[in-house]
Amino acid sequence: MKENVTFGDRDKNVTFGDRDETSPPATSDEFLLNIGPQHPATHGVLRVVVTMDGEVVKDIVPHIGYVHRGLEKLFENRTYEQIIPFTDRTDYLSAIANNFAYVMGVERLLGLEVPEKVQYMRVLMAELNRIASHLLWLAAYGLDMGAFTPFLYAFRDREEIVSMIEEASGGRLTTNYFRVGGFVHDLPREFFPRLRKFISRFGKAVNELDTLLVENAIFVARTRGVGVIGRGRAVSYGMTGPCLRASNASFDVRRDLPYSVYPLFDFEIPVGRNGDTWDRSWVRIEEMRQSLVILRQAMEGFPEGDHKARAPRNIEPPAGEVYSAVEGPRGETGFYIVSDGTRKPYRVKMRKPSFSNFSALPEILRGLKIADLVAVMGSLDLVVPEIDR
Amino acid sequence: MRSAEETREALGKRFPAIEVRPVDPAPNVTVHADALRENLAWLRDELAFDFLVFMTALDRPADDAVELVYRLFSHESRASVVVRVRLPRDGARVPTVSDIFRTAEWHERETAEMFGVEFAGHPDPRKLLLPDDLDGHPLRKDFSHPNLVRLPEVP
Repeated sequence: MKENVTFGDRDKNVTFGDRDETSPPATSDEFLLNIGPQHPATHGVLRVVVTMDGEVVKDIVPHIGYVHRGLEKLFENRTYEQIIPFTDRTDYLSAIANNFAYVMGVERLLGLEVPEKVQYMRVLMAELNRIASHLLWLAAYGLDMGAFTPFLYAFRDREEIVSMIEEASGGRLTTNYFRVGGFVHDLPREFFPRLRKFISRFGKAVNELDTLLVENAIFVARTRGVGVIGRGRAVSYGMTGPCLRASNASFDVRRDLPYSVYPLFDFEIPVGRNGDTWDRSWVRIEEMRQSLVILRQAMEGFPEGDHKARAPRNIEPPAGEVYSAVEGPRGETGFYIVSDGTRKPYRVKMRKPSFSNFSALPEILRGLKIADLVAVMGSLDLVVPEIDR
Repeated sequence: MRSAEETREALGKRFPAIEVRPVDPAPNVTVHADALRENLAWLRDELAFDFLVFMTALDRPADDAVELVYRLFSHESRASVVVRVRLPRDGARVPTVSDIFRTAEWHERETAEMFGVEFAGHPDPRKLLLPDDLDGHPLRKDFSHPNLVRLPEVP
């Protein structure tokens, strides 16, 4: 790789978008490596162009926007109710968290009080969804790192959750379960026996996954001390969720900007020490344990009542604006909704955790080896439709 | 550790025109484009607003204005504040804050392409999400495109 990169004569004029004639010429040892937009390690349609010096990453330029669907523009032409199913599709692994944040925002705009049972149902669903999302991350990350077995274990447990959610909502991933003021329908009768069985079994399953992957010697060797980002940099890049907490910053929307009935529950917020790839993995394992703690408390305190409030059929919030955020599996998932008093929002801005988490990638990766790229990118738990919206 | 009340008091001292808009409890301050960098740096350094939650814009053709919205959060005091900048729709230009909050770099790129706001001094002013050959700024209210046809209203 001594010359500048060309892909045969036909592509002599190929540019990588970020490098044009004004860029400094690549030196003799430098070369560009293009990863994506279709690559198994990117977990979706995104592309990074890496400037390499031998095996060392000198610089990295992410390219996003391949699955940009213009949802924010679309929202301006839809009524408030019609937007709910779209929010599922921004992050298909945490549809519930997205529903939750959006619906809560509209309820605040309307000044609508929601029955206690609805709040408990929302917490149950959100925590189940968090576990399912973390399990999928664990499975996919294991595959990235060359461990196939954890995938089978994680998907066995995830299937249990997904089928519980399916029984309740009718959908497995894009559930469209939430409505302004409550839910589309009540929990099925078999839900709680299944949940009880799941809770009693899953504690052991997390321990299994912990020893299988996160405590595994090969895994530790590949992740510990790799991809470190300090607390100050992580905050400046707007990182949230497990990626931030791994960097020794104790911030969780559930505790710090309390919403729904989370203040009633007693749970811990796991915080990592070094901000490396291993800590990001460990935090997610601990979070699954804490979700289980919340699920148990929510199940025991589950109140009687109605599964929806008396919401108006045509939702026309008064003029005003609101920012409502929840702690999604990947971090702070927020909706900034501006209403002008009509049936359609004036503007909806989606604040998505993967967007900010991913923007820190060059900062984390500079100076590491190319093999670490897969380890670091996987540990950020990116969902690409959420970055592009 | 500063409490949310102390933060609120300090905010009121520096920005007398502080206001709370309906529903959202966070205080709003409107600053001039030239004073934006200075004020955001002050909020970060003096009041520990270290986290730019998001940054976006609102197009208000009725007032002939584009309104920038910066939402900050403090990990220390758990307080939020919204900083707003009003710009004219033609020639909207504001200095970048991507060196004060690193996350602003991508948020500003997105706002630039969607709303046609120029961020002076931005380190990487390429488009972020949109194709390079798209003209216009889609999130402006008067955006039009040959492929964009309004469906008939269903009664």
